[in-house]
Amino acid sequence: MSDSLLEVQDLRKSYEDGQIQALVGVDLKVAAGDYVSISGASGSGKSTLLQLLGGLDRPTSGKVLFKGANLGVDVDLDTYRSNSVGFVFQAFYLLASLRAVENVQVPWVGTKIPGKERAERAEALMVEMGLSHRMKNYPSQLSAGERQRVAIARSLANNPEVLLADEPTGNLDSVNSAKIMDILTGLQAKRGMTLIVITHEDSIAEAAPRHIRMRDGRIVA
Amino acid sequence: MSATLTLADFAWKNVWRRRMRTCLTLCGIGMGIAAFVALVGFSHGFEQAWLKMYESAGTDIDVVQKTFMATTVAESAGPILQALPEVAQASPVIVNMMDVTADINAIVFGFRDDSFDLDAMKLVAGRRFHGDDAEVMLGQLLADNLAKKPGDTVDIQGTTFKVVGVYTGGSAIEAGALVMPLAQMQQLASMQGKVTAFHVKLKPAAKGESTDDWMHKAEAAIQAATPELRAVPANERASSNQLVVLAHAAAIGTSAIALLVGAMGIANTMAMSVFERTKEIGVLRALGWPARRVMGLILVEAAGLGISGGLVGILGGWGALRLMSVIPATKNIASASLPPAILAEALAVAVLVGLAAGFVPAWRAARLSPVEAMRYE
Repeated sequence: MSDSLLEVQDLRKSYEDGQIQALVGVDLKVAAGDYVSISGASGSGKSTLLQLLGGLDRPTSGKVLFKGANLGVDVDLDTYRSNSVGFVFQAFYLLASLRAVENVQVPWVGTKIPGKERAERAEALMVEMGLSHRMKNYPSQLSAGERQRVAIARSLANNPEVLLADEPTGNLDSVNSAKIMDILTGLQAKRGMTLIVITHEDSIAEAAPRHIRMRDGRIVA
Repeated sequence: MSATLTLADFAWKNVWRRRMRTCLTLCGIGMGIAAFVALVGFSHGFEQAWLKMYESAGTDIDVVQKTFMATTVAESAGPILQALPEVAQASPVIVNMMDVTADINAIVFGFRDDSFDLDAMKLVAGRRFHGDDAEVMLGQLLADNLAKKPGDTVDIQGTTFKVVGVYTGGSAIEAGALVMPLAQMQQLASMQGKVTAFHVKLKPAAKGESTDDWMHKAEAAIQAATPELRAVPANERASSNQLVVLAHAAAIGTSAIALLVGAMGIANTMAMSVFERTKEIGVLRALGWPARRVMGLILVEAAGLGISGGLVGILGGWGALRLMSVIPATKNIASASLPPAILAEALAVAVLVGLAAGFVPAWRAARLSPVEAMRYE
């Protein structure tokens, strides 16, 4: 049994009947509590790797192991994403028809968590993100930095062990980028989460204790 | 304290994002449900009016032709029925719909002047007709409609009849009907020697014998005496009456077409909604929503459209029934009554239509791969 929280073994992913090789044999181990950055040029396979680590897709071959269990085989992907993973995306992906505090509650809708508890937990996360004054605003009424903070609050809804951030600062100015990275690294340290960040920005990539570089679907450093 | 976001809230907000489209969809399904409520309500009222007519006259059994289309019975069956020990009176009757003016048609009954059916009609003016004279009695609703009173005349199919009486009946059918001597009716309808049915009033049951047993005994006796005919208890006859059966069939058939159109409206709205929210559905999956929960959300939205459209339709259908009960062409046979069972049926149909229409879009939404959905432009 592996002592890594996440491990990939000879991971391969291709599209269009093999014509596009996004990952060509990746091996990686990430321990619990690690902060890892992944960088590389467009098309290097870093987003594909993140998607497979997050259970958003299935590999063409190879394995993704979470606590030793093979994702999609030993562990249902929906359950894994619901219980163990939080995502933060470059485009935020907030739901336009819902207020900020309602967006945070989306992971819980249709579950057995009592309504009062959901509302209280959502409020607490918004306060943690410094958005107590923005609870009732719609995404269109928030700045880019505020939207990303709502998205981070949402990603923490199910107390994930792993937080996956795909270019979290890609749509932000430098000031907000720094704020968001501070929040993410602060959460990682405070909660002991495993944080994996995809980024184009060297400053963010090199600030992580572990920096992985990818090229042409492989880890090169 | 912030409000909790429930599945229903989420569904409602999704549906209300495109207000115009939602309103148009509600109109579509609303019209289908309105048609259902109005037509089924109308045919139900029609059936209830027949039942009340039998009850108020004291008809126990209706003796009719066995076949559906050939609806005449030989008048000679009358004495055979009258001779049965169970039978108090067997009254021959002809029922038809006829034009009483260019714009107004009415149900016309042909009875003998000694028929027990006439006893239930309470005269408010004039008298009963005598023998086979060219005289008619008008139900009060019809008399008001035609603005006729005793002493006036009406022309029916080229024959002039004298109005001799105005009556109130036990049901909307009688109140809006015209009654004439059987022989006159046979002449107008070219049914000499024939009638539509015999209304049979039974003698009281023997002491200690249940009404049901007595009824069954009488039915069997009538059936044995007239094997070519059918003896139907009056309460069953109201629902199996050809006019009522045709009314029900027309109501269901017409409203089914209207509901199909409404359902297609919902299906189109849900298909467009899922298409527009492909990326959003991918995000829901990424947030841990299982496929069945996504499907549940879409179905809740579709059912919500169905219910909302259903409520709009029920209001519209009730309004249409009210209108039919006051306009001259239909007020004599339409009743604005709307039993709770029909309302419940309409709402159930609305929900089912919504769910059926939303099923394919919901299933397609559930099948979307999270990563492909999030990549969708």
